[in-house]
Amino acid sequence: MSLDVGPARDTLIGGEPPARRAWMRVMSERPLMVLGAVLVALVLATGAIEPGYLSLRGLRNTLLLAAPLGIMAAGQTLLMLTRGIDLSVAMIGTAAAYVAGNQSPNGAGIAIVLGLVVGCVAGATNGVGVGVFRVNPLIMTLALSGIILGLFTQWAQTFLQGSTSVAPFIRTIGAGSFFDHRIPWNVLIWGAVAIVMIGGLRRTGLGRMLYGVGDNPEAVRLAGVRIWQVLLAAYTISGFFAALGGILLAGQSGAVDLRLAQNFLLPSVAAAVIGGTSIFGGVGTYSGTIFGALILSVLNSMLTFLDAGQAVKQVVYGLIVLALAWLYAAVTRAE
Amino acid sequence: MSATTGDMTRSVAEARRRWLRMHGWTIGVWVLLAVLLAWYATLIPAFGSFTIASIAKNSLQTVYLAISQGVVVIVGGIDLGAGAMMVLANSISARLMDGQGFGMSMVISAAVLAGAALLNGFVGWIIVRSRVPDIIVTLATLFVFSGVALMILPSPGGGASGGFRAMFTGSAGGVGTNYWPSLAALVIPLAAVSVWLRRSPRGLALYAVGSDVNAAYLSGVNTARARITAYAIGGAFAALAGLAITAITANGDPRFTNAANGTLNSVAAVVLGGIALTGGVGSVIGAVAAGVILFILNPILTAMSIDPNTAQVIRGVLIVAVMMTAGLLEVRRRRTE
Repeated sequence: MSLDVGPARDTLIGGEPPARRAWMRVMSERPLMVLGAVLVALVLATGAIEPGYLSLRGLRNTLLLAAPLGIMAAGQTLLMLTRGIDLSVAMIGTAAAYVAGNQSPNGAGIAIVLGLVVGCVAGATNGVGVGVFRVNPLIMTLALSGIILGLFTQWAQTFLQGSTSVAPFIRTIGAGSFFDHRIPWNVLIWGAVAIVMIGGLRRTGLGRMLYGVGDNPEAVRLAGVRIWQVLLAAYTISGFFAALGGILLAGQSGAVDLRLAQNFLLPSVAAAVIGGTSIFGGVGTYSGTIFGALILSVLNSMLTFLDAGQAVKQVVYGLIVLALAWLYAAVTRAE
Repeated sequence: MSATTGDMTRSVAEARRRWLRMHGWTIGVWVLLAVLLAWYATLIPAFGSFTIASIAKNSLQTVYLAISQGVVVIVGGIDLGAGAMMVLANSISARLMDGQGFGMSMVISAAVLAGAALLNGFVGWIIVRSRVPDIIVTLATLFVFSGVALMILPSPGGGASGGFRAMFTGSAGGVGTNYWPSLAALVIPLAAVSVWLRRSPRGLALYAVGSDVNAAYLSGVNTARARITAYAIGGAFAALAGLAITAITANGDPRFTNAANGTLNSVAAVVLGGIALTGGVGSVIGAVAAGVILFILNPILTAMSIDPNTAQVIRGVLIVAVMMTAGLLEVRRRRTE
């Protein structure tokens, strides 16, 4: 894309030991295999720390956490493909959970649908800002996040008052399990999201346009694509997934408050980055993001077994993101 | 863009238009700030030295963060970890200064500033060396720095000496009517950075790298040094914001929300202040005015007895509205050109 300049130019040309080069090739051609190996290693390490972890029951807790994270990271992946980012996923998820909690007395169906509608509306607002008015995605989604927080802090004391507990059905899909209490329901929903995401990105026109918009917006525009429509669709879908993740989280905790999803914002970006999606757009898959979400969740379990507090978790997450991003950058350059 | 020879009036008009396009936004932001300050003066019953001291003191944090983010954005990067660096400096200084005298506090401040510059310079080095996008690396530092702050100071606490507090606030108790120290703390660093950015070769290199890194490299600018310098200065100013909080509140607060809000405010100030996120355009003077505007909205809305949550909504809507207008103007300009 640009001239290859700068001090790091010569570091990877020639003089590379063959073993390292072969390893780099595996990483660039089969990134999922490497991610899978990292995941297995982490699971085994966690099992060594806490032997009870290596059972379906032990893994259940990890999956229970991974599903909402993976669903929120789905929207993040779509937007990063278009060179965007959504820093409002946590607040959109919380808002949807609030509305779902408020509507729970009217039945779980209505509650879920209205929650998802809130997510779509919020996402579409981001889409209009970014797609039509060309606001920087970082600013747009951060500002929307602030707006939603302000609105819902107020509404939580007025007409959304007392909407803290959610319907039993939402609790079941958020925290319940089937198959003798071993596999959480939310993993089933995540599976459906994964099928739609992977299939949609590969086979549909919109999926291909998302890659195109991120890869070369000018070419895509000259080919007759209305970029604002693609962006509007992408941000709306991201809002939908954020809402779905938020509702599942509400089901998991059984109650709603304004900090419900706040710990999921940065991990949702991290999951996509770990999975190999580039923030420069055009490169990435949802399969990678799935591994990213699983790796982060296993890591969370491991650190919990080690009695590490939130502080240590934050430091470890940060270093992992940095290390993997560096690895991807090195591999891409070696190609 | 060059005017034809002999057509002097046209070239003068052209130059005026260019000057307006370069500085129009900054001037607009300062005019808006003046209007808001005047409006605030009419809203409250007694606008005197106490109010001035309070505004100057309380906008220090936003101003330093705006400078911090501004320098980094001008070079073409973005520092999502700025808020976390502020919280880290606040936590360390509040913990170490507790029970210490003025002299020791100054030593601690100097060490914190130097450490922050080195640490963020190292972050800049990682960005240059690894070629990982700025936004990803600094997202990681946002996690890491705020995690370290929590390790150093697990819950809010600590303290500061009276002399150190007076340096930023004008009085040992942190509240008073002497506004000169706060104003000086506000103006001197801002002036130093602006002059350095606009007048020194190394400062101008930041603009060169921000507007086109390849062109800058090919014309002999040390691009790596410019980017690392920008991150180091950004780190020092973020830490200065943390020290200001320590001086004003005599307390350290390591909560993650503070870090996230600090970053959000700094990015908002920079963008509203006319520094383009693509780099190379704008001035820290505009960013600082925008930072003060974002701060002054709170007391104005409080004086109008508007709920703080509504105030947050209004701030968000304002940011989006300004950005949308700027976006529309840009689209129209591109169509006419």
